[in-house]
Amino acid sequence: MLNDSAPFTPLRKALSESRLALVTTAGIHLRGDTPFAGGDQSFRAIPTDTPPSDIVQSHASIGFDRTAFQRDINVVFPLDRAREFVARSEIGSLSRTCFSFMGAQRPPYDRLLQETGPEVARRLRTEGVDVVFLTGT
Amino acid sequence: MLARVFEEHGLATTSISLVREHTEKVKPPRALFVPFPFGHPLGEANDPELQTRVMGAAFALLERETGPVLEDYPEDVYAGQNINLAQANSVPRPDVSDDVAFEVTRLRPYYEQWVSANAGRTAVGVTGVEQRRFRGLVRLLEAYAEGREIEQRRAIAPVRALGSGRPQGVLPGGTPAAKAGRFVPGIERVVVERDPKLDAIAFGIAR
Repeated sequence: MLNDSAPFTPLRKALSESRLALVTTAGIHLRGDTPFAGGDQSFRAIPTDTPPSDIVQSHASIGFDRTAFQRDINVVFPLDRAREFVARSEIGSLSRTCFSFMGAQRPPYDRLLQETGPEVARRLRTEGVDVVFLTGT
Repeated sequence: MLARVFEEHGLATTSISLVREHTEKVKPPRALFVPFPFGHPLGEANDPELQTRVMGAAFALLERETGPVLEDYPEDVYAGQNINLAQANSVPRPDVSDDVAFEVTRLRPYYEQWVSANAGRTAVGVTGVEQRRFRGLVRLLEAYAEGREIEQRRAIAPVRALGSGRPQGVLPGGTPAAKAGRFVPGIERVVVERDPKLDAIAFGIAR
């Protein structure tokens, strides 16, 4: 996908007064939730206070090392680190819900761009989120 | 791509980029390019200081007035080190003739030790197949790989499950659980040669 321009929302307030959400394309979700399949453009909701032992990864690609995520989810989905930023008052607060998609997508991206991506954006806005930190695999 | 959708909806985003060329094309609004391998966007497992520094550098991009912003994470994290992260195709294959099904069973106590030492983290169970069924599943796969007759319908779901649910482990003496790893490509080759429709099975196993 080659883009000529980039939509841009400036952050109008200090990060210390902002609400942060984590969104990842690492294909993770709650244990027991439906796993991701290849080409899956859906998302999974992950409550921000979910314990690490309840978060699993079902990303369909075989091309990357998952052992780091197994040992420490923060290397991919830094929930603990984000909480520490809040504890140090460097970030105002965290959203109640974080979200995960699957990466390694191939075109067409219609569902992601027109349905699932905007749905997550709306939910984040509803939760008062100002900033999203995006990580891949 | 997601970043653009979010920005269009009034959310400010900052992201980690592992592939610079891709990021240069897609042009997310704010991206921090990091020198880490796939699977490690925040650097290293169990290195909270590094993870925090990386996040701090990504958050600093939010102070820019205009975008797109693509910056390189400045720290030379691997200075002088010989990085030797295992990727699937680089793990050497030992010459072993032991029983794969038995290896899966033998891993169990080490797996359980690992789980209890790591706060319950486990990939086992993602597909809903119970561990006690693993040995039987491996026997099924072995039969298939050797061209023996198996009931195909039974095979499909458990075969996908085995690929995702295989416990990671290290046997005593430090030998990685390699026999299952060597066995899996055998299944992959057999399935692709014999029946293209079962490509999905091979993919699931490889997972």
